[in-house]
Amino acid sequence: MARDKLHVGLEIGTTKVCAVVAESRPNGELRLLGVGESPSRGVRKGEIVDFTNASKCVHDALADAEDRSDREIDRVWLGITGGHIHGFNHRNSATLAAESEITESEIEEVECKEQDLGIPKDHLMLHSIIQRYYVDGQEGVIDPRGMFGSRLEADFHIIHGIANRIHNAVRCVKEFEIDVVDIVVNSVASAQVVLNDHQKRAGALIVDIGGGTTDFLVYQDGAIRHSGVIAIGGDHITNDLCIGLRIPIARAEKLKIEEGSTVVEGIKPSDRITLKNDTGFSGKEVDRRTLNLIIHARLHELFTILRKRVQEAVPEHLLGAGILLTGGCSLTPGIREVAESVFQGTPVNLAHAQSVSGPASAFENPQLSTCIGLTRYAQVVHSQMPETSMFDSFLKQISSKLKIV
Amino acid sequence: MISYPRWLEDTAHTPRLRLIGVGNAGVHIADRIARLASCDIETVALNSDQHSLNNSSASTRIALGPMTTHGLGAGGDAETGLEAAKESLKEILTAIDGADVLLICAGLGGGTGGPTTALIAKLGKERGALPLAIVTSPFRFEGRRRATQATEALDELKKHADAIVHFENDRMADFAEAGQEAAKTFAACDELLAGAIKTLACVTKGGGPLPVSLPDLISILRHSGDGCVFGSGSADGVGRAELALEEALRSPLLDNGRLLKDGVEVLVHISGPANIAFLEVAKIMQGVSKHIAEKTNLHLTLSAGEETIPLTVALIGRTGAVEARPLPPREQPTIQQPAIQMAVPEDDPARPTPKTVAPKIRQENLPLDPIAKGRFDKSEPTMFEGEDLDIPTFIRRKLLR
Repeated sequence: MARDKLHVGLEIGTTKVCAVVAESRPNGELRLLGVGESPSRGVRKGEIVDFTNASKCVHDALADAEDRSDREIDRVWLGITGGHIHGFNHRNSATLAAESEITESEIEEVECKEQDLGIPKDHLMLHSIIQRYYVDGQEGVIDPRGMFGSRLEADFHIIHGIANRIHNAVRCVKEFEIDVVDIVVNSVASAQVVLNDHQKRAGALIVDIGGGTTDFLVYQDGAIRHSGVIAIGGDHITNDLCIGLRIPIARAEKLKIEEGSTVVEGIKPSDRITLKNDTGFSGKEVDRRTLNLIIHARLHELFTILRKRVQEAVPEHLLGAGILLTGGCSLTPGIREVAESVFQGTPVNLAHAQSVSGPASAFENPQLSTCIGLTRYAQVVHSQMPETSMFDSFLKQISSKLKIV
Repeated sequence: MISYPRWLEDTAHTPRLRLIGVGNAGVHIADRIARLASCDIETVALNSDQHSLNNSSASTRIALGPMTTHGLGAGGDAETGLEAAKESLKEILTAIDGADVLLICAGLGGGTGGPTTALIAKLGKERGALPLAIVTSPFRFEGRRRATQATEALDELKKHADAIVHFENDRMADFAEAGQEAAKTFAACDELLAGAIKTLACVTKGGGPLPVSLPDLISILRHSGDGCVFGSGSADGVGRAELALEEALRSPLLDNGRLLKDGVEVLVHISGPANIAFLEVAKIMQGVSKHIAEKTNLHLTLSAGEETIPLTVALIGRTGAVEARPLPPREQPTIQQPAIQMAVPEDDPARPTPKTVAPKIRQENLPLDPIAKGRFDKSEPTMFEGEDLDIPTFIRRKLLR
């Protein structure tokens, strides 16, 4: 049976629903064929609050993606986010028969069982990602297969979220008889294309600031060490502007994209922006300094919270490759400087998807990092799969357990 | 220079313990201890709230600041609490007089507990006693003001107390089940602290085949203001050593054994019936050593003989730097801390008391006016450390106008 070479990533975001169709070439190259987008309705902070509207948007985005890529979509890899998603580290151990060789079955024994993790009953385990193995206490074993030992231990990073909310997102897609191959947490997906192997080893924090949420993930020594979601995003900036400047939401969003910046110093008090009148809006002049002050305050606070969350697990000085900002909000002028002022001494860079080919306009857009990452995740999972005709039936079962490094 | 408490010079003297509960939370805990402690211990209840005192079963009950608060409590205001404590200074001094070890328990977020605890620790130390504080900081949902008061009180306390067992109420979420009744959860929290105090009291009492030497205990507890970790567990029957140790390690105060890794000094106190086997002791110590860092200084004490009690393992540790921390300057209260500067009663009454004005504690985020959340009005709030992040940052930080 031929291998599935087409991978579709779907993200139901707060601002937009977006589907990326990519093709995996035999040489391992990932080529983007088309991107479908639709402005999102019925999604707040990354979670579906209006099912009917949200599924309409999903339909539009998938139809758009089919048109642009000229391919038929029958299955997607779904990205998921929301404040309910949490990550933690867990060590599992298995005592082996005396001095036996470690094989697949022993490795399976040490894998995390959802019921042993103590995650709340209404939560679903989304990922259990291997960090490293220990054989008889020997640290830093990358692959224990074929080794001898009497005790095998393994560190995992577990990511879980509320089952019902996750199922709602899946149902949104299944409405159109499209299969969800697997659910991938946004930050895990983004990291697959934004970070290279060197950065993963040196230690890096990837921050994907989207419309409704900020997803972060820490890589260290080539393994995922920490992850989480903060339910704050670009929407909050828009809302702050709407309240602070007393302008309608739609105008606030437009103003943020066109004029917004975090630079507060060196603005003359006379520097004002004129908003043209519109139906139901009589036009207004806003103070540029106030505009930037509101944006700066929100982003500065976001990074402060982020820093606290990251420090729970990883001290900053271990982030050798620094911080990489992606997602729509990373386009805000001056955001790098804000992040640098909070994470003092740690380099901060803007990043987008790497190591994929196709239209540069697509992969250079940080808004698409997650979606492109989903296709890369799909490609990696597929390449690690044994080539059997039955693989489809195993896919669901295996994919969440596979090693994504 | 390390100054030893007075009672160390007199070796024949058994140390006198006194348990002091300050404020509503403190009185609660003290009551609980008085009920469950097997070591005999004098209890003193200090509160500005007369109602709480009336219900207390402590052997001595002292109302703070009857003129300042009229027995109605400090109303959560640290300034009023301090005022009340100053008024009843004489009574406080009689309460702590003659004790060698002062176990002071309090909740730091409130008006009475916070400032008074630091004051008692200071006065106790001046009189040569060993002040040990067992304190809780408020839940995040109690708001920023209480959190700020608690932080200030803790900073102040760190300067005076020889040891602080600090328990964040927020950690309670870890061991409270979702459907558990609130009263039970609060009781569980009190219970935990009571257990901690009881063990501390028993350890200081000494006795047994391998008693804790007092210099040992002091070296462990002194300057532990940075962090004192604590866990205890008890079990009976088959496999009691393992079970007791497991329970001790699982204690929320130890953050499930994780905090033990940071300990520089760890004291393992094993107590129980006379038939504790050497093997059991060895097993416990092996178990503990798995959880501590290499350079940790491990102490073992053992008291056996009491037939009725189950095997109990207590872990007391100090985290932070190995070197003794230089003592912070006592005489210069910094701006953020409510300054405690007292004239001791023996002083000339005619001399005016240097009056230090405690800084006003501002109320923040009091939800008096309708909070602007705009489009997030109806969505699930994003909370972080007690703040609703959906409210624009510039409003919470008061940046405009």
